[in-house]
Amino acid sequence: MSITKETLQMHLKDPAIFCCRRQKGLVISEADLEDPALFEDMIEAGLLELSSDGLRIEQVLGSTLTANVEALTPITREVLDKVNDIDEKPEKPEETCIKEKERPTTKTGRGNNMIHIEIGKAKNLEQFSLDIPIAAFEHGDTIKCEEPCGGEIETKKKEAPKTKRVFNTLKKQHIRINEVEIGSETSIKDGRITIDSAITKRAVKEDPLCKSIELDVIYPDKRHVYTDTIMDVCPIATKVEGELGHGVTKVAEGVVFMLTGVDEDGVQIHEFGSSEGYLDEKMYFGHPGCADEKDIIIRCHVVIERLSGMTRPGPFAAHKCQDYIIQAIRDELKKYDGEVIREEICEDVRRPGNPRVVLVKEIMGQGAMHDNVICPTEPCGILGGQKNVDCGNVPIMLTPNQVRDGSIHALTCIGPATKEMTRHYIREPLVEGLAADEEMDLIGVIFVGSPQVNDEKLWVSERLGSLLESLDVDGCIITTEGFGNNHIDFIQHIEQAGKRGIPVVGVSFCAYQGQLVVGNKYATAMVEENMDKGGFENNIAGCSCVTKEVATRAIAMLKNKMSGVEILPAPKKWNNDVINANNKLLGLKETELVESGTLH
Amino acid sequence: MRLTTISGLQSEIFVPVTPRPVFTELKKPLSECKVAFITAGGIHKKSQTPFNTSGDFSYRTIEFDTPSSELMVTHGGFDNSDINKDVNAMFPIDRLHELVEEGFIGSLSKETYTFMGGGGNVEKFKNETGPEIARKLKEQGVDIVLCTGGCGTCHRSATIVTRCCEAEGMSCVVIAALPPIARQQGAPRITAPHVPIGSNAGEPNNIPMQTAIIKESLEWVKDCPSYNQTKVLPYEYRHNV
Repeated sequence: MSITKETLQMHLKDPAIFCCRRQKGLVISEADLEDPALFEDMIEAGLLELSSDGLRIEQVLGSTLTANVEALTPITREVLDKVNDIDEKPEKPEETCIKEKERPTTKTGRGNNMIHIEIGKAKNLEQFSLDIPIAAFEHGDTIKCEEPCGGEIETKKKEAPKTKRVFNTLKKQHIRINEVEIGSETSIKDGRITIDSAITKRAVKEDPLCKSIELDVIYPDKRHVYTDTIMDVCPIATKVEGELGHGVTKVAEGVVFMLTGVDEDGVQIHEFGSSEGYLDEKMYFGHPGCADEKDIIIRCHVVIERLSGMTRPGPFAAHKCQDYIIQAIRDELKKYDGEVIREEICEDVRRPGNPRVVLVKEIMGQGAMHDNVICPTEPCGILGGQKNVDCGNVPIMLTPNQVRDGSIHALTCIGPATKEMTRHYIREPLVEGLAADEEMDLIGVIFVGSPQVNDEKLWVSERLGSLLESLDVDGCIITTEGFGNNHIDFIQHIEQAGKRGIPVVGVSFCAYQGQLVVGNKYATAMVEENMDKGGFENNIAGCSCVTKEVATRAIAMLKNKMSGVEILPAPKKWNNDVINANNKLLGLKETELVESGTLH
Repeated sequence: MRLTTISGLQSEIFVPVTPRPVFTELKKPLSECKVAFITAGGIHKKSQTPFNTSGDFSYRTIEFDTPSSELMVTHGGFDNSDINKDVNAMFPIDRLHELVEEGFIGSLSKETYTFMGGGGNVEKFKNETGPEIARKLKEQGVDIVLCTGGCGTCHRSATIVTRCCEAEGMSCVVIAALPPIARQQGAPRITAPHVPIGSNAGEPNNIPMQTAIIKESLEWVKDCPSYNQTKVLPYEYRHNV
C-alpha cells in the first residue's frame, strides 16, 4: 500500500520502506513507500525488519534506484544514486509520556457551533483533538474526558431545560401461556394454546415448494429429543392496537415456535453448518434469539422440494407456511383476555443535547436464506413485509420501537451459532441498551443488507456512509451476523463512519474461525461475540451473538470513543482473556466459553 | 451531557496484516505449460463424501478426465443454484479441456484437488492441507495453478493454499469474486471479474464468458509484474436471486 502526500508529510522522519517490489531506475516518490503507521504490525507479524542502515523518508525522496529492491525492504545508501542532505542536528528525544505531575496542556474553543478540544500531549495520546457539537452541552452538563494520565477536561455551559420528546409509545403485554396441545380446534383458553391438528394440511398449500408439515410440542423438561436443523425461533406476537412500533402488542409468554426443516431427500435446510441433533445440546437457551429455559417449544417441521434448500424460494416456503399457522394463533391471542404477567412500555424518544447515536445492523442479503423480511404487518410475521434482498440491500431506517415490535423476520442463514433469529430482534440487547441509556440520544436503527457481489457491497456501504453523514450522528455501533464475505462490507461500513470522523464501534463474531478477512485503520474499537472454546462456529443455535454483555461492552466502548478515552489496541490473536478483562472493568459476568469440541 | 467512560478497555478483535510476499515468475509460454485448477468452492464428485459446510479442511481428489456431469457442490456460504445449473461456474473443467484442444495451454495435470474453504481453519490450511495439495501438484509437474474462492472465508482458504503452491515454485492466480480478501490475505496474483460469489468463474452456461475469464487469468499469470497485483476483468454477471 503506497501513501499519500498528506501521510508523507507526517512521516518524513520515519524509515523509508518500499511497499512493493521496485525496479532499478525508479525515481522514488510517496507512491512507492509503505505507510509507517503499519510498521509496528508488520514487525510483529515478521514481515518487516528495520535496519540501522535504513534511510529516512526525507532522505530518499527524488532519488533514483540503482538496483531492484523487494517489497518491505529498508532503503539503504547502496541502492540509491544520491541521498538527500538533511540538516542532521540531533533531535530532542521525544518524550513518550508526560510526568505524573504534569497535566496535559489543553485548549478549548468554539466555532461553527462546535466545541473544539485539543490536547497537546498526554500519555499515549498525542495531538488529540475532539470536536463536539455545542448541542451536546446544552443542559449545563459536564463532559468529562478521562485519559490514562488523569487529565480531565470539563466544559460547562449555561443551564437549559432538558426536554425528552416521546414520539411513539408501544405497550407490550406479555400474556402467560402454561400449556400447549395439538387438538381439534385452534384456541387459547385459561393459559392453554390448542392448535387444530388439521391446520398443517391447510398451511402446506401456502407454497407449492412445501411438501409436508408436522407440528409437535416440546416441554422444557423433555428437550433431549432429536431435532432437524433449527431454522428459526419465532415468538407469537400480535397487534391489538396501532401498527408496528406503537399502540399495543400482545406477546405470548412462555412459548415460542421453532422451525426445523429438511428437503425431500432428507438434506438439512442449512447453509453454513446445521444444528440437527439433540435439542438440549443444540440451542443456547436464554440467549436473545433462542428459547428461554422455561419456554414451551412448538416445533414446526417442514419438508421442502428436493434441491431447493440452498436457493431463495425453498427456505422461504418453510417460513411462509409456518407463519400461516402462527397467524391462526395470533388471531386467537387478539381475542384472549388472559393474565398479563408483564407490561413493557417502550418509547421512541429524542433526548436533545445528548450525543446522537445510531445502531447499524448489517443483515444478510446474499440470497437463499441470507435474507430477512422487513416490516411485516404482524410482529415477527411474513405477510406485508419486504425482503431486504429485493430492496437492493440499501440501508433502511427503523425506529427502536419498530425493531422491538418485531419488524424483522429473519430468514436466518449462515451458521447456527452466529445467526440472529427472529426472536433476537424483538429483544435485541443493543437496541434495548441504547434506547434505555439516558446519556445517549438513539435516533434510530439502520438495517443494511450484505450483497453477494463485491461491487454491490461497496455501493451499499457508500449509501450508508452518506446516510450517516446526513444524519449528523456523533457515534455509531455497527454489528454483523456470521462472518466471511460480509466482513468486507462490515469493515467498509466502519470506514465510512471512521473517515467522516464519526466514532464507531464494530461488533461481530470473529474469534478463530471467523477472524477478519480484511481490515482498516478505523476498526479500533471492536467487540467479540464468540462463546465457543475453540473460537469456532459450533452449530449451537444462537451461541455466539449479541448478548447483554456484548451490548454493554459495545456501548461502553462507544462512550469512550466519543469522549476521546483511549481503547487499547487488540492483541494480534483472539484471546478470551481480553474480553473477560473488559467484562471485569464493566462489572459484567465472565464470558464462559462452551466446550463444543468443534475443530473443523 | 456527561458520558460515563471507563479507562483500560481493550479492543477485542484484531485486523489482519497482509503476509510475506511470495512470487514465482512464469518462465514458459502458456502453450507449453501444464495447468491445474483448484477451488475452495466445495466442488466434489457425486460419489465422494460431501464437505462439512460449517468448516472442513479435508480435500477431494478429482481426476481431470472426470465428466462435469459427475461433479456437484456442497457449500453453505452462497446460493448454490448457479453451480447446480453448470459446475463450470465455479470449476470450469470443460473450458480447460477446450483450452488444451485449442493449444492455448499445454496440458492439464492428471488430477487436481478441491476443498470447501468456508470457515476454513487457517492453521490447518496453512500447515497441512495447503502444503499437501501444493506438493501433489508439484509432483505432477504443474507450472500454473488457477484457483477460485467461493464465499468470503473461502477466499481466505483459497489464498492460503494458492500461496503454498506459489511457494512450491508454481505460478498461481486467484480468480476472485471478492478481491479485497484475496489482496489482504496475500494472493500472489489476482484477477477480478464482476461476478457474484457462487459463480466465481463466470455466468453458468455462458461459455464465451467462462473461456475469457480463464484465458485472461492465464495471461495475468504471465504478465503480472509483481506480487499481489490485481487485474480487473471486464466481465459482468448479476445473479438475480
